[in-house]
Amino acid sequence: MAGPGGGGCPAGGNDLQWCFSQVKGAVDEDVAEADVISTVEFSHSGDLLATGDKGGRVVIFQREQENKSRPHSRGEYNVYSTFQSHEPEFDYLKSLEIEEKINKIRWLPQQSAAHFLLSTNDDLRINLWHLEITDRSFNIVDIKPANMEELTEVITAAEFHPHQCNVLVYSSSKGTIRLCDMRSSALCDQHSKFFEEPEDPSSRSFFSEIISSVSDVKFSHSGRYMMTRDYLSVKVWDLNMESRPVETHQVHEYLRSKLCSLYENDCIFDKFECCWNGSDRSTYSCAWQCSHLGSTWPGAGEGSHSRVWSSGPGGRLRPCSAIMTGSYNNFFRMFDRTTWRDVTLEASRENSKPRASLKPRRVCAGGKRKKDEVSVDSLDFSKKILHTAWHPAENIIAVAATNNLYIFQDKAN
Amino acid sequence: MEFKLEAHRIVSISLGKIYNSRVQRGGIKLHKNLLVSLVLRSARQVYLSDPCPGLYLAGHPGAPALPQQPGESVAGPPAGWGEPPPPAACAAWPEPEPQLELPAVPEVPRAGDAEPAASVTGAGDTLQGGEAEAAEAAWRRVEGPRETAVGGSDVFPQGLGAARRPCGFPPGDEDKMSASPRVDGCCAPRPAGPEPPVPPPVCPRKRGAEGVGGGPADFPAPGSTPLKKPRRNSEEQPGGAAAAAAQEEEEMETGNVANLISIFGSSFSGLLRKSPGGGREEAEGEESGPEAAEPGQICCDKPVLRDINPWSTAIVAF
Repeated sequence: MAGPGGGGCPAGGNDLQWCFSQVKGAVDEDVAEADVISTVEFSHSGDLLATGDKGGRVVIFQREQENKSRPHSRGEYNVYSTFQSHEPEFDYLKSLEIEEKINKIRWLPQQSAAHFLLSTNDDLRINLWHLEITDRSFNIVDIKPANMEELTEVITAAEFHPHQCNVLVYSSSKGTIRLCDMRSSALCDQHSKFFEEPEDPSSRSFFSEIISSVSDVKFSHSGRYMMTRDYLSVKVWDLNMESRPVETHQVHEYLRSKLCSLYENDCIFDKFECCWNGSDRSTYSCAWQCSHLGSTWPGAGEGSHSRVWSSGPGGRLRPCSAIMTGSYNNFFRMFDRTTWRDVTLEASRENSKPRASLKPRRVCAGGKRKKDEVSVDSLDFSKKILHTAWHPAENIIAVAATNNLYIFQDKAN
Repeated sequence: MEFKLEAHRIVSISLGKIYNSRVQRGGIKLHKNLLVSLVLRSARQVYLSDPCPGLYLAGHPGAPALPQQPGESVAGPPAGWGEPPPPAACAAWPEPEPQLELPAVPEVPRAGDAEPAASVTGAGDTLQGGEAEAAEAAWRRVEGPRETAVGGSDVFPQGLGAARRPCGFPPGDEDKMSASPRVDGCCAPRPAGPEPPVPPPVCPRKRGAEGVGGGPADFPAPGSTPLKKPRRNSEEQPGGAAAAAAQEEEEMETGNVANLISIFGSSFSGLLRKSPGGGREEAEGEESGPEAAEPGQICCDKPVLRDINPWSTAIVAF
């Protein structure tokens, strides 16, 4: 997929034409709980794609190399390996069953010919593991109170800074994000930075705390920004500004009036993830590097990064940055941060013809429903897209819809 | 009014979720239960701050039944959450801390006649128009006491262990509870005096089983119009007749206890055994007793336990 991109540019959602590429998984109406995909992650090169499911299994797909005799299978992901990562366990002391569900998969930077995976789960503590020492770990964050009755928040997500290996962030159920520097102290109980947006009193409801709980946090590839996902929105934060996010994108604001019902049916507890597009690499001067295009804009270089502009419709030049997250009814949303445009797409078997373009979908929040719009009341809340992944370098996305994995590509690929 | 009903409904749902979480695979989910407890607290506070404390809420037909017993009908003549306890029931409870720090809730005439014939529309998901203003006003009232709350001690269920406290929802009293021995909190905040202030909303002693965690099946579908439910308030107003109220309550209790036992199962009967180990089941490692008592021990005296209403007991069971 190298070489100058034709008309397509690795931009945000709107200038790309997303097409169906593949779908993995069974077609049965009755989905076994164990088959529900619980995490999706591309490897650093994008050649491998891993999924984990609630049954504790990990499936790794590998991208087919270019093959002249089988041009159609170029770029296809096929099963490379499957293994049972976790088994159900029982904690006899607490009489608790320990789920085997895979919560998260993270690829380690490849240091040898072998690839390594980590899969974890954390509520009150974050531990750091040395890969060669498997019988103990180092505790870096511990928010468990001495008296559990005083518990007011739990850790909901955590991530290491992409470039500064001593920096990590973790989000909480209260909607706050803490940035910690492991060099400053061994136990990172004190944060270096504390990100919190003041609550809007006019939108207070019974469910304000729930919907402000952060379900995912992701650093941008540059490391200058981070993105958080709460129930109704995605927020982009500048690490230099703790008081409020620099951007807020509404994912499905039409659900705000339905929170009580969503609380009843437990949907309000769904933990949506979010991801950046692969080519948002940037430096402090907002220069971008794009592996697709060979050309660079002269004079805008900053260190090893150079500003790359891609041509969009009308010949406008602009950098590329986009974010993606899931919603209900097998919809997923993409936000173009540069043009501030967004699009809603659907992962469905009906749109699964090879290279079929995805049509933008619209949800009718009220009033007269236009043709092709879906009304809020007819959304299928059992079809939720919680996990999505964007290829690190190309416009290929993997979208997990319950027990199916959809792969979409930009038409230009 | 609708606001209060919504709060009531939310409390019911929340209790049901907490119960269900105990039996689900994988054990209690800390994060989810924490969030549910926050909702519970909000609903409780809003309920209290609504200036119609005496209004009955219980027993309207069509109220969600328990998921386990979908066929359960309203048990007995519920007199609602707003009813003051008969003096006999209170007698065994020690005087609570002097007065609840309630937001300015005026004493409302028992019959609540000031209320227009209320059709229950509160099941709606949205607070719109004028409701939004009322809602905002209520939230402001709620915020008030929160600021004065004793730090760290407030909140009914901060974590699951908070349910250790008997009658975990004493209105606005948790702040005080931290200072006083736990036993005072036992469904406490109603003095045995003649003019009881707002009683704890979520110790709906006359509520009956149907108030607990309405299963989704019984709720109106999202977006659908909630049923209009006739008020039964006027019928059950004891109008100060303590004896009548006591009798009603006794009836209720018997029926309720049986229901609640079957619902909450062994943990409940553990409480009824009134042994220190009775609450043991709830001590799932992460929960500690609210005081120096052994983890899981119910911190009520036995005589108190006998008189404690089934709802509080059920809540304590968590």
